[in-house]
Amino acid sequence: MSLFTRTNRELSVRIDEFFDTIEIGILIFKEGIKAYVNGDTNAFRNHLSKIDDLEGKADKLQRSIENDMIVHSILPQQRSEIVKLLWQLDEIIDTAKKSLNEFYVEMPRIPASLSHEFISLSEVSGNSAEELMPAARAFFREPHLVREKLIKVYFFERETDKAAFQMKKKVFHEMNDLSLAEKAHIRYITHHIENISDTAQDAADLLASMAIRQML
Amino acid sequence: MIFLFLTSGLFLGWTLGANDASNVFGSAVGSRMVSFTRAAVTAAVFVIIGAVVQGGGAADTLSRLGSVNAMGGAFTVALAAGLTVYFMTRAGLPVSTTQAIVGAIIGWNFFTDNAVDTRVLTQIVSTWITGPVLGAIFAYALYHLVKTARRRIRMHLLKYENWLRMGLMTVGAFGAYSLGANNIANVMGVFVPSIPLEDADFGIFVLSGAQQLFFLGGIAIAAGILTYSKKVMQTVGTNLMELSSEAAFVVVLAQALVLFIFSSSSLSGLMVRIGLPPIPLVPVSSTQVVVGSILGIGLYKGVRNINLKVLGSIASGWITTPVAAGILAFLMLFIVKNLFSIDVGHSVNPPVSAGEGVSMATIIRYSIPALLLITAIYLVYLVLSEKKKTERLNKKYYE
Repeated sequence: MSLFTRTNRELSVRIDEFFDTIEIGILIFKEGIKAYVNGDTNAFRNHLSKIDDLEGKADKLQRSIENDMIVHSILPQQRSEIVKLLWQLDEIIDTAKKSLNEFYVEMPRIPASLSHEFISLSEVSGNSAEELMPAARAFFREPHLVREKLIKVYFFERETDKAAFQMKKKVFHEMNDLSLAEKAHIRYITHHIENISDTAQDAADLLASMAIRQML
Repeated sequence: MIFLFLTSGLFLGWTLGANDASNVFGSAVGSRMVSFTRAAVTAAVFVIIGAVVQGGGAADTLSRLGSVNAMGGAFTVALAAGLTVYFMTRAGLPVSTTQAIVGAIIGWNFFTDNAVDTRVLTQIVSTWITGPVLGAIFAYALYHLVKTARRRIRMHLLKYENWLRMGLMTVGAFGAYSLGANNIANVMGVFVPSIPLEDADFGIFVLSGAQQLFFLGGIAIAAGILTYSKKVMQTVGTNLMELSSEAAFVVVLAQALVLFIFSSSSLSGLMVRIGLPPIPLVPVSSTQVVVGSILGIGLYKGVRNINLKVLGSIASGWITTPVAAGILAFLMLFIVKNLFSIDVGHSVNPPVSAGEGVSMATIIRYSIPALLLITAIYLVYLVLSEKKKTERLNKKYYE
C-alpha cells in the first residue's frame, strides 16, 4: 500500500505541475502578442522560445500522467475523462504556441489603429483559458465549486467572440487602406487567437459534466 | 459416511461463495479498484472467520424452524435447496439460497410430520422484507455521510481514491465476515442437529461441534470464492447499476451491517439488556440487501424511474423459491426414504390439533399446496405468454 500512496502523491504533484505549465504558457502567449504588436522583436522571440519549451514540458507531463494512471490503475472510473481533459488543456498551449509561431513565420502587418484591439483580443481569449485552470484544479479538490468557477470561462469566451467580430468588421468595413490579402491575413490570425478561447470552452464543457458526475 | 452426507451442504456452500462474493467485492473488482486475487483471498479468509466465530445465531433459528434429526434428511434438504437454486438460476428466475433452505426445511417438516413453528417462520419471513429495507435506509444515510465528509475535508481526488481503496478492502473484509456469519446457517444449519460432533480442543481455543461444521462450510464457501467467483465479480458485480467507487463502498458497508445485525447474538443480547426486543438472528439474502442498498442510493440521488420489475421479481422470489424448494425437498425425501431406505428423520414435534378450531399449522399445511398450485398456474401462464409474445414479435418481424 505504501508504494501505491507514493505513486498517487507523485501523480497529484505532476498534475499540479501540468496545470502550472499551461497557466504560464497562457501568460507567455499574451506577453508574446503584446511584444509582437508593439514591435519588440527580441522579447517576442524570447516568449516564443519559452512557450515552445513549456509546450514540450506539458506534452511530457500529459503522457507520463496518462501512463501512470493506466499502469497503476488509478481512478479507473474517471480515468478516460481525466485523460481527455488533460488532452484538451494541452490543446490550449498547443494552439497558443501555433499562434505565436504563425506570427513569427508569416509576420502579419498589424496596423497601428488595430494594436489595441489585437492586444485586448489576445487578453480576453487568454483570460478565458486562464480562468479554466482554477476550475480544473478545483475538480480534484472541491468538485462542487467547479461550476461557479467556470462562469468566467464562458464569459471571456463570449467576450472573445464579440471582440473578434468587432475587429473583423472594422478591418473589412472601415480600413479601406488595407489590401484584401492583408485583410484576409488579419482575419486568419484573429481566428487563431479566438481558437484558444474556443478550446477552453470545450474543456469547460467537459469539466462541468465531470464535476456533475462527481457530485452525484 | 458423515462426509458423504455433508457433500450436499458443501456444494451449497460452494455455490454461495461463487455467487454471493460478488455482492461483497463485485463492484470493487468490476471497477478495477481492487484486484481479484486480493479481494478473493480477503473474502475467503473473513468468510471462514465469520462462519466459525458468529455463525451460531442464525443456524439456531433455522434449527428452531425444523430440527432435521437424521443425516439423510439433512443431506436431502440441503440438496433440494441447492438444486432449487441451480434450476431457478438457470431458468433466469430470482432466487436466494436463504429462501430455498427455509422452504426445504418446511418441506422436511411436512414430510416427517413435524409442526412448523409459525412464530419462527414469521420472524424469518419478516426479515426477508426488513433486510432490503434496512439496507436502503443504511445506504441512504451512509451515502449522505460520505458525500458530506467529502465536501468538508477537501481532499485531493487521488488521495481520496486511495482512502476509498483501503475503505473498500476494509468494508469488503467486514462484508465477507458478515456473509460468513449470517449465511453459514444456509449451508450447514440443517446438519447441526443431526451430526453431533465432539468439541475439538486446540489448546488456545476450543471448537464446538457446530463450529467444526461451520468451519467446513466456510471452507466450501471460500473454495467457491477462489475458484468460481472471478467471472461473477467481473460481470455480475455491476449489472444492477454502474456504481461509483463511493457508492460501491456504501453498498458493501450497508449490506455488511445488515447481515451483521441479523447474525450478532451479542448485539441482540444488548438490545434485550436495554429493554428493547431482541433482534431475530436469521439468515438474510445478501443479494436482496444489496438491491435494497442500491435503491437507497438511487433515492438519495433523486432517481425517479425505479424499475419496479426488479422489486417485483424479488418479492415474487419470496414466495416462489421456498415453495419450489419445499416441494422438491418433499419429493426427494420421499424418494430417498422409500427407494434407498435411508432414514430422513422422524417426528419429534407433531402438529397439535386445535380441537374444534383450526390451528395455524393446519392453515399452512393446506395453504402450501394451494400456493403451489397458484405458482404452477402462474408459471404456465408466464411461459405461454412469453411464447405468445415471441411468436407475435417474430410475425411482426417477418411481415
